[in-house]
Amino acid sequence: MKLVGIAGSIAEQSYNRMLLKFIATHFSDQVDVEILDINDIPMFNQDNDISDGDALQYISNKIKRADGVILATPEHNHTVPAALKSLIEWLSYSIHPLEGKPTWIVGASYYTQGSSRAQLHLRQILESPGVGAICLPGNEVLLGNVKEAFDENGNLKDKGTIDFIQSTLNKFLKFVKVINHVDNEDSDAWKQEDLEANNPVDTTVTNVDMNAKDWVEQAAVKTNAVDGKAYVKLDRGLLTVDQLNWFLKTMPIELTYVDDNNQFIYYNKTMEGKKMLASRTPDQVGDKMTDVHPPRAIPNVKRVIHQLRTGQKDLVSMPVPGNNATKHVMHYYKAMHDEDGSYRGVNEWVLDLWPIVSSYLKMTGKMLVDDPNNQVDANAGASQAGASADTDASAGASESADEPATETVDVDANSGASES
Amino acid sequence: MKKFIAIVGSNSKSSTNRNLLKYMQNHFKDEADIELAEIKDLPIFKKSPEKTVPEYAIELANKIEAADGVIIGTPEYDHSIPAALSSALAWLSYGQHPFVDKPVMITGASYGSLGSSRAQAQLRQILDSPEIKARIMPSSEFLLGHSLQAFDDDGNLKDKDTIKQLDGLFADFLKFVGISEQLGGATAANMEEARNFNWEDNK
Repeated sequence: MKLVGIAGSIAEQSYNRMLLKFIATHFSDQVDVEILDINDIPMFNQDNDISDGDALQYISNKIKRADGVILATPEHNHTVPAALKSLIEWLSYSIHPLEGKPTWIVGASYYTQGSSRAQLHLRQILESPGVGAICLPGNEVLLGNVKEAFDENGNLKDKGTIDFIQSTLNKFLKFVKVINHVDNEDSDAWKQEDLEANNPVDTTVTNVDMNAKDWVEQAAVKTNAVDGKAYVKLDRGLLTVDQLNWFLKTMPIELTYVDDNNQFIYYNKTMEGKKMLASRTPDQVGDKMTDVHPPRAIPNVKRVIHQLRTGQKDLVSMPVPGNNATKHVMHYYKAMHDEDGSYRGVNEWVLDLWPIVSSYLKMTGKMLVDDPNNQVDANAGASQAGASADTDASAGASESADEPATETVDVDANSGASES
Repeated sequence: MKKFIAIVGSNSKSSTNRNLLKYMQNHFKDEADIELAEIKDLPIFKKSPEKTVPEYAIELANKIEAADGVIIGTPEYDHSIPAALSSALAWLSYGQHPFVDKPVMITGASYGSLGSSRAQAQLRQILDSPEIKARIMPSSEFLLGHSLQAFDDDGNLKDKDTIKQLDGLFADFLKFVGISEQLGGATAANMEEARNFNWEDNK
């Protein structure tokens, strides 16, 4: 589970930031907490709306993609600091990333109050219609006398306090699941995902027929695209277009680029379509998603892209049915983002895992045998081997409706490899 | 004649709270000298080891110190006062304490029907905090709802009943300021306490 933490103080020395850091490190085996900095956010002013600017878009995207939010507030003059309030005003004016977001309030203060009154104000603020965050009820974490609370390594000294935070965190993690579940149940939002590519983005080449067999050539003329010996500056390196092609075409995976308008704009043409693990042909490039998928696949494609676009998932993986003993083909779909964290499309890669597994077995002298306790169908289990161990990898199962194996991934994380 | 500082709680160019305070300035000109004070140029409140306070916040504090009372006109953003006003109050209680025992009248205007009611409730709590310690006029609320429609072309309030209510409250405020002057017994002690109060120093 992924949370973002925001400390409400912009002072250089902040015990609330320390408290968040402690939560992020001490409970890192249970939850992934990313702490965001709000120092560069200017005072909210409706005359000068900077909601579209990098600073706010970055924070907004992080919040939207997180499962929940932790707010750590100091208390100033019986209320929340102006800096935190200003941020919330920005996040409730033109953009509303906190809407429906499970939120946990914690706070630290120098005296006994532990920011109690600021927390009550914050609850009222978060509940207002423009903000719409959903706060964990009760369960106040009020860390008083904070100057004595931490040791020199930034760890809380008192075991009772740590246990209390642990038990509240447990409740919050359950709360996050329940709230997000309710939201997902009710939501048909994925149906709105437009696979017809009707929403051009700033990189879309307009006035070229997406279906044209020579879309690439036409679009290249339109954009004065460079080719051949022209140099392209990359992060991190400098290559000619030729070099870039040589490089991509020798990748041991099939790469496909679908942009944020759901238009298929690139694949690394390593071989003829028929020989590929997932067939692509040169004339398909430029097509919209609906033209490269059979109708029966459309709902699943919509679901996957919606999950990636909204940040519910960062990576979706699925095995291709019909693998035999000499192939184990996997499809991976990874969300791409620009520097602001805005969604910019899908990086799809397809590869056969079998050569990797078989070379491992050969090198180690091990063999695969059936696990007598295995309750999972083989396809789903194997999907784990290629994906990293992070929680997002479990996304795989959501992909194919007929693969109800989502929750099993943790169990057989090692299955593909060597444990037998 | 009494002298009041009227703080515009919004940093927006077009603010019906500013309009309301301007109306009061003009409408009560025979009874009090009301000077409008803007907060829009103050930076976001930030503590520093040197306890630096912006020049403008010091000027404003001096004006408040010298005035007989303060009127604060607050909008409501997200059920509370705007960050800009909260920030200004933080600067006005950071190493300087012009509000201690200073009579304060709260007004508020909003586009909707509620007239900033929840922001005003929070503002009272804020003004009660140890480093501000203002003397807020009790049992009085002026909530101007539908504020975009409330004024005529000359900036005057249109509704007679609203004007009557405001007249009554302002008359009370003048009396409250008078009573407040007689309640000076604890002022020196309060001021001392606010000055010595230090969130940082855990004595």
